[in-house]
Amino acid sequence: MNKGGGTGLGSVTGPTAAAAAAAAQKQKVLLQRVDLDIGNIIDNFSQLVTVARVNEPLVRNSQEAFMMEMRAARMVQAADSLLKLVSELKQTAIFSGFASLNDHVEKRIAEFHKQAEQSDTILSSIVDDAAASLKELESRYYSSAERIVEPLEN
Amino acid sequence: MDGNLEISLDKLPLKRVDFIDENGNERFPPDVSPEEKTLSLIRRIDFGWAVQKDEDGDDKDEHKDKKQKKAGKDGSSPWQWQGMVENLMLARQELSVIIDIISTVEANDAVVVTSITKPKQLLNESLSDLAVSAATKLQCYRHLGKYFKQSAKGLEQQVSREARFYGALIRLQQNWKVKRQRMAASAPGNESFTIDLSDNSSSDPTSGLRSYPLSILRVEHDSAGMLALNVPTKSYRALRFGFVGTALECDGVETECPGKLNDGSADGEDERVAATHYTLCRLHKAIFDEQVFDFISREAFSLTSGVNLTGIRENFLQLRLRQGESMSISLMSTSQDDQSVDSAETQVAETEASPLALQALAPENEGIPDERIRGPLNRACYEIYLQQIFRDHVFARSKNRHTAPSSKPTGPSAKDSPSLLGHFCLSVAHRIFSSRVLKKLENVVSRTPYLQLMSQPAWNSRISSWLLFMDVPQSVLHGGSKTDNHPPKWRKSRFCTKVVVIEECIKVEGEGAPNVVGLFKESAEDITTISRYECDLEDLPMIILQQVAGQVIWWLHEEALTVGLKAARDFLCLSFELEQGESLSLAARVDPEDPSGCISWWLVVDGGFPGETKLHTDADTKNDYRKFLGHLSLDVLHSTVLDLVTLCNSGANP
Repeated sequence: MNKGGGTGLGSVTGPTAAAAAAAAQKQKVLLQRVDLDIGNIIDNFSQLVTVARVNEPLVRNSQEAFMMEMRAARMVQAADSLLKLVSELKQTAIFSGFASLNDHVEKRIAEFHKQAEQSDTILSSIVDDAAASLKELESRYYSSAERIVEPLEN
Repeated sequence: MDGNLEISLDKLPLKRVDFIDENGNERFPPDVSPEEKTLSLIRRIDFGWAVQKDEDGDDKDEHKDKKQKKAGKDGSSPWQWQGMVENLMLARQELSVIIDIISTVEANDAVVVTSITKPKQLLNESLSDLAVSAATKLQCYRHLGKYFKQSAKGLEQQVSREARFYGALIRLQQNWKVKRQRMAASAPGNESFTIDLSDNSSSDPTSGLRSYPLSILRVEHDSAGMLALNVPTKSYRALRFGFVGTALECDGVETECPGKLNDGSADGEDERVAATHYTLCRLHKAIFDEQVFDFISREAFSLTSGVNLTGIRENFLQLRLRQGESMSISLMSTSQDDQSVDSAETQVAETEASPLALQALAPENEGIPDERIRGPLNRACYEIYLQQIFRDHVFARSKNRHTAPSSKPTGPSAKDSPSLLGHFCLSVAHRIFSSRVLKKLENVVSRTPYLQLMSQPAWNSRISSWLLFMDVPQSVLHGGSKTDNHPPKWRKSRFCTKVVVIEECIKVEGEGAPNVVGLFKESAEDITTISRYECDLEDLPMIILQQVAGQVIWWLHEEALTVGLKAARDFLCLSFELEQGESLSLAARVDPEDPSGCISWWLVVDGGFPGETKLHTDADTKNDYRKFLGHLSLDVLHSTVLDLVTLCNSGANP
């Protein structure tokens, strides 16, 4: 998020310079948007408070009623815009946090390797067990009375 | 100029904001004509205020008088709208006249307009005016409060929806490749997300894997704002292996999948993420199966693969194995809705292909139950094995290329088999052949009571081996010396015969084989002689039985020598020398087809050499010289030999 935060950008050279400049520009734009939206909300709210005074010319009150609605709508709109900005920031956080993403991928890879090793171990133990069981079953079968009787029945 | 001020209120060229779009731009209504403008101005007259004024009955300035008149008239008959409209028209006319007059007066310097002082209101009047205004304003603020509450509620919902969506996205991102796609045409913030299921770990161009359009999945917000996957129909496909001519089980539908996860009705966030994860896993598996099928399809068509492709249709391959057996590899849909269509198609394919295959199979599979060779369990084994060798062949190979080459014991090797599919066909053919060999061996063993069979897993798909062994009774003379920990090396208690099947070649190796060389080499080294044979399936029982009978003979010979008999060993015959050149022979007769026992014994009294003894299956058992002893056990044989000791001794010392 704070990559290319504007400090020391001048010293960055190479292929990352353009990306850093773009990130700084984007950060600037985002800050401007935040300032604009918050300024909007504050302005409109102060206007709303200002028009709370009951004016002498009565018609003016009606006029102010319309104005209040308009100001309220602009406040809501600015809040919505702020939300969109937050959503955009969330997306950036999700998709640009390469360090954490890479860490997680490494972690998962290690986990999967471990799991694969465990599976191999389990498989080999199953192999051993199966072979031992087969051997035992076969020896039991061929030394059992059933097996002796069988050919006589045939 | 109070009057002017009052009039100029409606004269103000106000350009009011109509609405504000999402980007915050103010939109103005289109310009209106003066007529419409006047009408709209009239519409904005505050009648409530006028009615109140009318009730007060006080005359204000001339403009307000007009309004009061109108309102008074309207107030008497509030429901007569027609009358009100007419009155408004009249008021408009009067207002126009007044505006004309005022503009004329303003334009004309000669006319001096004297100011008319507004009559001072009474205190109660001004207070009531103020109260009305304050109440109106309060109402406005209440209205605003409601508006803000509604908006806040909507925004809160949006926040929670996004939190859920991004939470689910982050959790999916931990296991899957989630990508963001910005639409160039759309506004910022309107991105769409995709999940990439393609596996680029085998980016080796020679592996021939292509990417699948199905591997890019679109992630969408559903109606509740939750994460939803846009899964195309007919996506869930699984590899299916089968032998042509057998009914294909329709057990491919993944019944283990809980319905709760499938129908998307899971409420909780965890369940929803788990369901999505499950869906992605299934799709990933389906893509892998498609890759396998695609790979083997291309191998089947290449000339160097060495496989015999006999049938092909969409997502269906039929291959002929060596023994005339045919197998099929297909891709079948496993999802519930697609199952009916695909299974019908496959059934058609199976039934069309079956008559030929059955004809080819008929002579081959005599006496072998089909379930033994191609049961449903075996089918799953073959599917898993195909997937595993594909994985080893493509993915592990490309991975190992960068590290170190490792040999795969179960995988296809380049020198043995030209291709993965060829290796697979050889493996399947070997499995079928080895099961036939096993059947033969079991037949032999079941009719030879002292013979035991033991499987020796080779852990190779193209090699099988078994061990046939026979435990002989302990010798009487050596029975007392059991405590002796060092018995003579050549004194054996177990005789083994090993049967190894490599692909479709049978090798039999065993010790104590019936060879004539033993006649001239009666030394201890003789014991370790191991014979090796290669034989075909038909001869296998006979070879095994000869081997076993030879081992019995060898053992009896050793026992006879131990007790001091003069015995000679021939092919399957043990001869004891009696006095005057007579000899007594114990001969084994092997018959794999004999249901009561495969090895039977004859006693032959002969005056000539033991080598001249001949066996006749139709020999008369009443003949004094040839006596059929029957299917003797090892113990009986052993005691027979001991009896012969007595006989020989009595013969030698009458």
